[in-house]
Amino acid sequence: MRDALCVSEPGVGLVIQMMVLSMIALSAWLVLRVGRISLGQQAYFGIGGYAAALLTTLGQWPLELALLAASLMGMGSAVLLSWPLLRLPGLHFAVATLALAELVRLGLSGLHFQVPGPQGVPLGPDGVDGFRDIRWLFDHGVSQVDYMLWAGAALALSVLGLMLLSRTRLGLSLLAVGHDETLAESQGLPVNQLRMLAIALAGGLAALAGGLYAHQQTYLEPALFDPMLGIHAVGYSMLGGLATPLGPLLGAMFDLGLLEATRWFEGWRMVLFGTLVAAFLRWRPRGLLDEHTIYHLGRFRPHFSTTLKDSQ
Amino acid sequence: MEFFQRTLDGLLEAGPYALVGLGLTLGFGMLRRVNLAYGAGAMLGAYTGSWLHVRMDWPIWAVLPAVIVTTALTGLYVQWLCFGETDRTSGSVQRASPAVSGADAREVVALAASFAVWMQLEQLCVNWIPQHLKRFPDVAATQEWTFGPLGLRPDRLLLSAIAIGLVLAVHHWMQHSRTGLAMRATAVHPLAADLSGMPVAKVQRWGFVLACGLSGVAACGVLALEGQVTPMFGMWMLMKGLTVAMIGGLGSVRGVLFGAICLGVLEAHAQAAWGAIGRDAAAWGLLLLALLIRQRSSATSTTGSVYA
Repeated sequence: MRDALCVSEPGVGLVIQMMVLSMIALSAWLVLRVGRISLGQQAYFGIGGYAAALLTTLGQWPLELALLAASLMGMGSAVLLSWPLLRLPGLHFAVATLALAELVRLGLSGLHFQVPGPQGVPLGPDGVDGFRDIRWLFDHGVSQVDYMLWAGAALALSVLGLMLLSRTRLGLSLLAVGHDETLAESQGLPVNQLRMLAIALAGGLAALAGGLYAHQQTYLEPALFDPMLGIHAVGYSMLGGLATPLGPLLGAMFDLGLLEATRWFEGWRMVLFGTLVAAFLRWRPRGLLDEHTIYHLGRFRPHFSTTLKDSQ
Repeated sequence: MEFFQRTLDGLLEAGPYALVGLGLTLGFGMLRRVNLAYGAGAMLGAYTGSWLHVRMDWPIWAVLPAVIVTTALTGLYVQWLCFGETDRTSGSVQRASPAVSGADAREVVALAASFAVWMQLEQLCVNWIPQHLKRFPDVAATQEWTFGPLGLRPDRLLLSAIAIGLVLAVHHWMQHSRTGLAMRATAVHPLAADLSGMPVAKVQRWGFVLACGLSGVAACGVLALEGQVTPMFGMWMLMKGLTVAMIGGLGSVRGVLFGAICLGVLEAHAQAAWGAIGRDAAAWGLLLLALLIRQRSSATSTTGSVYA
C-alpha cells in the first residue's frame, strides 16, 4: 500500500507524519462529535495539500500564509461539498462523503497545470503523477526539526482550540446535536447550521494537515489520499476515544508510534490494528478515552463530564 | 451501432454487479448495518479457493463450494465480532424505531468495527499469499457469438442469467417461505418478532451468514470468468456492491437488478467517452446522485422497502 499512512522515514520525519495524521484524525473526530461519520476527510487533505503547494511553488507565498489560505479553502470546499449532504441520514452521509472524496481524488488526478520552473523543471500538478518538487522548505533553509516544531505548534493550537470550544455554549450545542438530534432541535438549536460549522472546521483542519504533509514530503499525488486514509482517520478517533480531542491523537500515536515505527509487527500491523479496533469497539464502544474515563481521571472539566455521564 | 454494442456490454456487466449487490443488500436488510468487511470476506474466500486450486490441485467443482463455505464462515466471524454485541446492548426495542435516522453510537461502532475487520482480513490474505496475481479456476469461454455487427460473450450471458435467476429466487423465497417471513419480520420489527416467539438473534445471525454466502457465490461467478484474483478484489466487491445496493435502495432485493443495470450501462459508456478515470468518476457520481435522490424516502422510512 502506498498512501499517506505509510511512514517513509524514521525520527523527526516520523514525528511530523504522526502530527499530520493526528490532525486529520482530529478532523474526523470533529465530524463524529456532531453525530455523523465522514469517511471522506482525505478529500480536504488533498485539496489543502494542492492549494498550499500551488501557492508556495507558483505563487511564491510564504508557507504560513499558504497554509492559512489552504485551511480556508478546505473550509470553503467542505461547506460547498457537504451542503447537499447535510440532510442525509447517518449511513447515507458516510457513504456519500466517501463517494465525494473519491470524486475529488479523481478530479485532482485529472488536473494538469504546469508552468516552467526556475531550473527548467516544470512545476505544478501533473495528473496521476501528482505534484512534485514542492521545495519551499529547502529553498528557505527550514530544517526538519524546525518544521516539526511548526507542525507541533499547529497541532497543539488545534487541540487547545477544540478543548476551549468544548467548554463554551457553542461546544455544548455541538455535542447536543451529536447526542440527540431531535432533542437538540426541540430545544431550538439550529441543528443543520451547527453541523455545518463542525464540518467546515473539520475541512479546515484536514486541509491544514494536507498542506503540512505536502511540504514535508515535497510531493503529493492523488494515490496518497485514498479511502484508506479517511477510514483510518475515523479508526484513530474510535480507538483513542470520542470524549476529548486527545482521543484521536492517542489513536494515531498508537497505530503509527507503536505498530508501524517499532517494526516489530512488520507486515502484521494492519492485522493487529484491525483486531484491536474491533475488539475495542466491542467492549469499549466510545474508545479508550471515553466519557467515563475522562470523568474518573477528573482532569478535563469533571463538572462537564458529569452532565455527559448523566445524559448517557 | 457502436452505441448498441457498448450498451450490450454494459448490460452483460450488470450480471456480476447484481450478484455482488445481492449479498450486501440482504445483509443490510437483516441487521440495518452496512458490513464494510463484505468484500474482504469474499476475498478471503477467493484466496482460499486459489490456494486450494493451485497448491492442493482441487478440481473446480470442489473449489467453488469451498469458496462459498469459507466466505459464509467469515461472515459468522464478522457477525460475532462486529454486530453481535451491538444487538445485545441495544435490544430489540430501540431497533424497532425507524432505523438509520442518525449516526447513533451503535451505528458508528458497527461501521467502524466492520471496517477494522476489513483491514484485518485483507492484510491476512496478502500475508498468506503475497503474489499480486493468483490463479483461480477459469471457466471463461473464448469464442464469441456474433449477431450481425454485435458481439456477445456466451459465458457472460450465462452469468447474467444466473444472476437474474438468483435474485428472483431470493426474492421469491423471502416473500413466500416461512423462513423468509421470519427474516422480514425480524428486520422490520424486531420487538414484534420477538414477542411472536421468533428467535430474533438466531434469525439475524443466520440471515447474515446466508448473505455472506451469497457474496461467496458472487466471488465465484466473477472470478471464474477472470481466472485470477488480485488484492484489489475486496475493495472492488465492496464498492460495486455498495453502489448497486444504494441505487436499488438498500435492503431491496429486486432493486439490485435495477442498480446493476444502471451501473453497468453507465460505466460502459463512460469508459468509452472518458477512459478509466471517467468510468470510476461516473460510478461514484451515480452513487452520490442515488443517495441524494433517495434521501427523502429513506429519511422518512427505511423499513418500508425492506426486501420488497
